[in-house]
Amino acid sequence: MASTTAGAPMRGSRFKMLAQRLEVRMLALALVIGFCLSLLSPYFLTHSNIFNMLDQSVVIGIVAVGMTFVILTGGIDLSVGSVAGLTGIILGLSLQHMPIVPAIAVAVLAGGGIGLVSGLLINLFGLAAFVVTLGVMAIGRSLAYILSGQTAISDIPEGMQDIVYTNILGVPSNILFLIALYIVAWAYLTYTKGGRTIYAVGSNKEAARAAGLNTLFYSVLPYVLSGALSAVAVTFSISQLLSADPLMGNAMELDAIAAVVIGGASLYGGRGSMIGTLIGVFIMVMIRNGLNLMGVSPFWQGSAIGTIIILALLVERLVSSRASR
Amino acid sequence: MQHPPPQGDKPLLLAARDVTKTFDRTRALAGADFELAEGEIHGLLGANGAGKSTLSKIISGHHSFDSGEMLYRGQSIRLRNTRDALRIGIAIVMQETSLVPDLTVLENIFLPELGRPGRLDYAAMRERGRVILDSLGQSDSLPFDWKVRQLSSAQKQLVEIAKALGVGAKLIIFDEPTAALSPGEVSRLFDVMARLRETGRGLVFVSHRLEEVFSITDRVTVMREGRTVLKAHPTADLSQAELIRAMVGAELGAIYTEPHRQGEARHGPAILEVSHLAAQPQVKDVSFSVRAGEILGLGGLVGAGRSETVEAIFGLRPRSGGEVRLAGRDLRANDPQAAIRAGLGFVAEDRRTQNIVPDLSVKENLLLAHLGAHRGFLRGYQSRKRKVSELLQRLGLPEERLMDASMLNFSGGMQQKIIMARWLLLSPKVLILDEPTKGVDIGTRAGIYAMLRDIVAEGAAVIVVSSDFEELLGISDRIVVVSDGCTIADLPSAMLDEEKLTLLAAPRTSMAHNTAMLEHFAREHGGAGFWALVEEDRIICLNAVVANAALDPGFKAGEACVAAQTQIPRALSRREPIFVPEADNGRTTLLLPMRNSRGHDLGWVGLSLFPDAELPQPEAIKARIDSIAAAL
Repeated sequence: MASTTAGAPMRGSRFKMLAQRLEVRMLALALVIGFCLSLLSPYFLTHSNIFNMLDQSVVIGIVAVGMTFVILTGGIDLSVGSVAGLTGIILGLSLQHMPIVPAIAVAVLAGGGIGLVSGLLINLFGLAAFVVTLGVMAIGRSLAYILSGQTAISDIPEGMQDIVYTNILGVPSNILFLIALYIVAWAYLTYTKGGRTIYAVGSNKEAARAAGLNTLFYSVLPYVLSGALSAVAVTFSISQLLSADPLMGNAMELDAIAAVVIGGASLYGGRGSMIGTLIGVFIMVMIRNGLNLMGVSPFWQGSAIGTIIILALLVERLVSSRASR
Repeated sequence: MQHPPPQGDKPLLLAARDVTKTFDRTRALAGADFELAEGEIHGLLGANGAGKSTLSKIISGHHSFDSGEMLYRGQSIRLRNTRDALRIGIAIVMQETSLVPDLTVLENIFLPELGRPGRLDYAAMRERGRVILDSLGQSDSLPFDWKVRQLSSAQKQLVEIAKALGVGAKLIIFDEPTAALSPGEVSRLFDVMARLRETGRGLVFVSHRLEEVFSITDRVTVMREGRTVLKAHPTADLSQAELIRAMVGAELGAIYTEPHRQGEARHGPAILEVSHLAAQPQVKDVSFSVRAGEILGLGGLVGAGRSETVEAIFGLRPRSGGEVRLAGRDLRANDPQAAIRAGLGFVAEDRRTQNIVPDLSVKENLLLAHLGAHRGFLRGYQSRKRKVSELLQRLGLPEERLMDASMLNFSGGMQQKIIMARWLLLSPKVLILDEPTKGVDIGTRAGIYAMLRDIVAEGAAVIVVSSDFEELLGISDRIVVVSDGCTIADLPSAMLDEEKLTLLAAPRTSMAHNTAMLEHFAREHGGAGFWALVEEDRIICLNAVVANAALDPGFKAGEACVAAQTQIPRALSRREPIFVPEADNGRTTLLLPMRNSRGHDLGWVGLSLFPDAELPQPEAIKARIDSIAAAL
């Protein structure tokens, strides 16, 4: 506590200051995991596997952007997976009646609309985000089944594949989209009034309101964004598979939340960054990819991933409490 | 092994020698010495960060110490936790109470026993609780079955004290116990402390407020930068200046710069006008205005509705009636952003929960109100760059500390200055500050007062809410008193002192008794009754009841005027316990002093009647007044 301190704390070296940043430590962890996996599997660091992993990062990476915004305000969105499933079905059905671009617009608007409802319920009526989005999660999945008639919609136009497989300078368009999205999100959070407000709202909502910030708008916006980005993510999935399944996005909320938290965000809000989340996404994808390469049974993979996540956070907590003392 | 007794005849309860404590990389105590005898109240003083809280928490078992020695009743002790401390009889009464809000008063008093196995004997607990409260002379002030959540700050503190006695504490530390209390509650607390001293307990009194230290402590210990600089010195031998010098390490001069009292000419036009503002349930009817270039004090007891009033003005609390006009334009309710853009600034009472955003850097905390007022998509920090540098110089904060990741590493005083600077950045027309020096050490306080003076010198208006009447009188040009959600007086501070302010602020329950008495007098005898403070040639009316309009004394409740300009100048100048007829023989007036049971002057009660009416016996009136006064 400030009132019990005398004299200024000592200044650390540049390296120490760097090491105090969670993102830096998590990047180191990602590199260590990558190094270990490259030793275990010679295929891991090949050009094609790296592109494969980037490709696998796209869907979860997009959802994690919305989740980062939500968690920064101190909220949580459990509905991203089922919103992805529902908006995927909406996209599949729309594609039977209209061209690709308007169909995608319908799906994204639907996702944003669902997020708007959740955000308003949470912030206007003071309901717990956990409970509201849990309810929306159940409703979303249920509607996905009903709208799809319990089967996958497989007559998706071939033109959808262009969204994923157009190469620009040798890089697939979905990977470029992911990179662009993270740059835009990072710039928004860092340099705009809205971005700084989102941090302030998550850190101390009462103080933010007393300073004249529009706390209601910037508390709801992340949910809208999260819903819309769930629809964007499922659009990329459908483009690859040329099929819209009501089960799409199942359990995706867990991967997204895990990626954000591994990336250093606090579930109480106010702390986290886009760079951290991106590293979190890569760590999740690398582990899964590595386990596949080593031929670990899919039934064991859940245990392995869960253990690694908990261990990573435990080590991080032990290291950070020493670093900040 | 028995420790040698101190210079007095009282045995030593606690002695600490050369105690050190380091938190992380910060040295909080660098050799603290302290001693406490049985049956004494010992003041522990120091600026913020001097280490007095750390020392208190080491004595009470919250922290361990690194090196040094601590003797309790002659035995060397090393406490691992607060339970260890409680077991040997050391308790602490803290600012943030350790009570459980949803349990009852009784359960909280005996909280340490709730963990024991077996059934609880509520009847026995109730009986023991009764005995404890009786011993404090506070038998009726605590309803045992209420939840602690429903209690006032003062009552919660009493529960803490009772809790300490419940475990048989011999040594009780009071950490800033008066911070949230009204003057009446403070004097009740001091009664309780004096009783505890009589029973041979040793009390440590940690405080910023010098006048309280002088009124209650036997000896004082002063700390500075983690060291004891003045050890166990008898309070009576010290002057206020000597204490300040010991605390700050330098001569400070007068803390309060003399308010401008050259009259109202130098103040500009009214800039903020509040009329009949209501925000249920705490704010009922508040009206006042403040002029450019003026510091207006908003005084009253804790719970009178002052904080709620300013929050409703600023838009943080819904209004239920009335209007607020800033520079001639209506200020919308419930919209802090609109208020800020119109030129209002607001430093809320609680720094930690209402002002500081802990995850943003110092720089962004400084720019937070800018962000609120800013129109545009980008954050626009560059546009404020020059003003930020200017303000930092004024605060005496090096520019590189701006990038510090957390406000929480600064002292309370510096945090407060940064929050004030957050608003100064916007050059507000009116700046409202709620308890601006709460938890701020004496050195920084002077800096804050100087900042307020600078702000009004530049033509802005300042409204200060404070429970510290001395502070309010010291810095304000004018004081508006709020009691029970209503403005009841609006007077230049030059006319007031702490005692008068206390009387004006007295809650409405005592005012209701008083009004009933005045009404009784006025109705029964067909005249006019009033309650007023009378000085040389001036009078401040606290309450007036006129049953017959022809006998109006010429002043109303909350008004101040010169005695010669009233309808009863003769009676006011004679002040004798008889009916005094006025020169025109239009009325005759009885003026009697009122004193409470502690002998405090409560002003004068007057009764004006027609001279041809049947005059009552002055003794009968006096008896009635005394019985009312005893209850105040």
